[in-house]
Amino acid sequence: MSSNREDFDEFDLGSHVGEEHVAGEAPPGARHPTLGSELRSYIIGLALAAALTAASFWSLDEHVIYGPGIVMALIVFGLAQVGVHLVFFLHLTTSPDNTNNALALAFGVLIVSLVFFGSIWVMSHMNQNMMPARALLEMRGG
Amino acid sequence: MTLLGRLTWQAIPFHEPLPLFSGLGVLITVVAILAWVVAKGYVPYLWREWITSVDHKRIGVMYCILASVMLLRGFIDAIMMRTQQVMAYDAPGFLPPSHFDQVFSAHGTIMIFFVAMPFVIGLMNLVVPLQLGVRDVAFPTLNSVSFWLTAAGALLVNLSLVIGEFDRMGWLPYPPLSELRYSPGVGVDYYCWSLQISGVGTLMTGINFVTTILKLRAPGMHYTRMPMFCWTALASNLLIVAAFPVLTATLAMLLLDRYVGFHFFTDTAGGNSMMFMNLIWAWGHPEVYILALPAFGIYSEVVSTFSCKPLFGYRSMIYATMAICIISFMVWLHHFFTMGAGADVNSIFGIASMIIAVPTGVKIFNWLFTMYGGYVRFRTPMLWSIGFIVTFAIGGLTGVLLAVPPADFQLHNSLFLVAHFHNVIIGAVIFGAFAGYTYWFPKAFGFVLDERLGKWAFWLWLIGFWVAWGPGYVLGLEGMTRRLQHYDVAEWHPWLVVAEGGVVIILLGIIAQIAQIVVSVRTREQRRDVTGDPWDGRNLEWATASPPPAFNFAVLPDVTDQEPYWDMKARAREIGQLTRPEPRYEPIHMPRNSPTGFVTAFLAVVTGFALIWHIWWLVLLGLAGAYATFVVFAWRDHDEELIPAEEVARIDRANRAARSAALQHRQLRRETQRESAE
Repeated sequence: MSSNREDFDEFDLGSHVGEEHVAGEAPPGARHPTLGSELRSYIIGLALAAALTAASFWSLDEHVIYGPGIVMALIVFGLAQVGVHLVFFLHLTTSPDNTNNALALAFGVLIVSLVFFGSIWVMSHMNQNMMPARALLEMRGG
Repeated sequence: MTLLGRLTWQAIPFHEPLPLFSGLGVLITVVAILAWVVAKGYVPYLWREWITSVDHKRIGVMYCILASVMLLRGFIDAIMMRTQQVMAYDAPGFLPPSHFDQVFSAHGTIMIFFVAMPFVIGLMNLVVPLQLGVRDVAFPTLNSVSFWLTAAGALLVNLSLVIGEFDRMGWLPYPPLSELRYSPGVGVDYYCWSLQISGVGTLMTGINFVTTILKLRAPGMHYTRMPMFCWTALASNLLIVAAFPVLTATLAMLLLDRYVGFHFFTDTAGGNSMMFMNLIWAWGHPEVYILALPAFGIYSEVVSTFSCKPLFGYRSMIYATMAICIISFMVWLHHFFTMGAGADVNSIFGIASMIIAVPTGVKIFNWLFTMYGGYVRFRTPMLWSIGFIVTFAIGGLTGVLLAVPPADFQLHNSLFLVAHFHNVIIGAVIFGAFAGYTYWFPKAFGFVLDERLGKWAFWLWLIGFWVAWGPGYVLGLEGMTRRLQHYDVAEWHPWLVVAEGGVVIILLGIIAQIAQIVVSVRTREQRRDVTGDPWDGRNLEWATASPPPAFNFAVLPDVTDQEPYWDMKARAREIGQLTRPEPRYEPIHMPRNSPTGFVTAFLAVVTGFALIWHIWWLVLLGLAGAYATFVVFAWRDHDEELIPAEEVARIDRANRAARSAALQHRQLRRETQRESAE
């Protein structure tokens, strides 16, 4: 288990962060990855990512998926792609030393959704309630 | 296309005496200081020990110095505005509109980005690694780059005083006014590029501190043993990481509109200028808490130390901090209720804005209950904290009032609003910065600041603030809008004269603060902090010497309690000697100083300046230089220095001896007291 401690070791900054386990020791139950297992995980990830990419192009063909459903299919494939990248390439796991990463992801998703959906909601309400700026300018003879 | 782009002699304001002479004055002062530094032979020392330093304490001190210098600049702007408004009743005053507009824009920009931000980040730099019981931040060189990029942004803003002009549409350049069609000059470009450059620095600070707090802590320091200041710093830096990219993206869109004819915000060509308001405040409201949360952390430290009690409701304080961290991203629309998003949207954001006052209220009660039943020592940092609680409670109440959309429709863009945000930003952030500055000054420099002048400064600031901004509320209710260059309403004039008086009182407060530094430096030998613990503190920053050695701790402390240093002291007092026997000292590796930050920032100034004036060859040169600097840094062979074990032992033994002596002295005093009592 490559803990982040090693990255800081050369500076000896005092990175003995460990809630319960001693620094440098792997948490109980953690498996040490071998070259083979790492390689296998990357190949699976690559295959899944490529398959999802291919599937998005394939779904554009109107005969395969019900026409109006294409957009939804693309969103699903996109989200699945994000998941594949997170698990196989960015090594997001559920192990105890990955809590920070999982929390950081959750925080990021939360904030991005708040800003993204919030903005859409706010702006669409404004557009409903107010005359569009362009029409206003034209009305004024601008 | 010319060699110097848009830059001509017309950029220098020869025909406007005021900016010309103030610019010349600043230039002469800077040249004089530089000449003095060179003549005294301080250059090698400054280069070696400060400019290239990657030590978090040095960088923190430099941040605070930058903030203090910029505070003076922003305050001069404030005096000019207040004086203009006193003079401009039915008269033109002394500032023409174009100049007045630049002054209020520069005041806001400087006070938020180059005073409040660097002061708060500076204190975090100085204190967080010490409180966590570690030797530096996670990425020391990146930290230096962050600081110098912030300084680069500040330099660009001040350059606009002499070369060209500054933005004229307030501290947030709302389109359509800020679009090329209505603002063809360089003002908006100065604003955007200086904030883009310093924004990169701030974002890197955020990443650095989140990593430091999550990944580097002394052994045994669980999350629920971290000092409150570290918790608020964590929340603040999470907000930086989440919010600053929004600012960068928004300004990038405005720049694309201005430089290459995009239409993100041009209503006439399919863009939407209201989207700028929406996005800039999606950053802007979290920004308020980026500044306020660390200040809340400072008050928590100060109130607990000077009440001689652990912080009341430590866990509820953590929950309140993290609740504010999340809710601060759900209230941004209250800055533009009047946009016309309708009652549904406005009421939801109004309610969210009232909800965020709840965790803030929890904090205020926690501070009050910390004081309750404690042995309160009214030293300067404690005075700032009590002044904050009173001032901030009132500012918070006017904020909840503004969160009511119908009330906001009346008060939007009035002086009531301006009074409200000065009330919370001065009352919380600036008072907090001063509390932290007085509290941690002995840690940074090894001597305590003069108490008498500190108290003068506090009372002058507190009274000055209320005299300056109390009238703002009245003026707002009387219908005065913000940013008026002149007016003809007779009722407003007396209140504006009173406000000017308040500014003069604050000026006296600032003079008291400068005098405090001068007097304290002169009498520093009498006010040495020998033990490293001048306030009888409770957290780990007081466990090391003042000023701390480069490596902070000879041996990393073992944390077994929520107040680690208080716990150590209590045990030491029980057994009558230091808790740890002398450790076996080992050599310590520390990151080596690097000019990367300084060089990168210099090249960033060159690039920014060239972008503002459309000097494209210089842009390429600046970017290539910055990349080359990065390459040289990345390929360095020798990246750390070894502090030999003997040196570590010598420094630590001195500190242990001082602490032992203080402990013996205390025991002796206790015994004499007991004997005389018997």
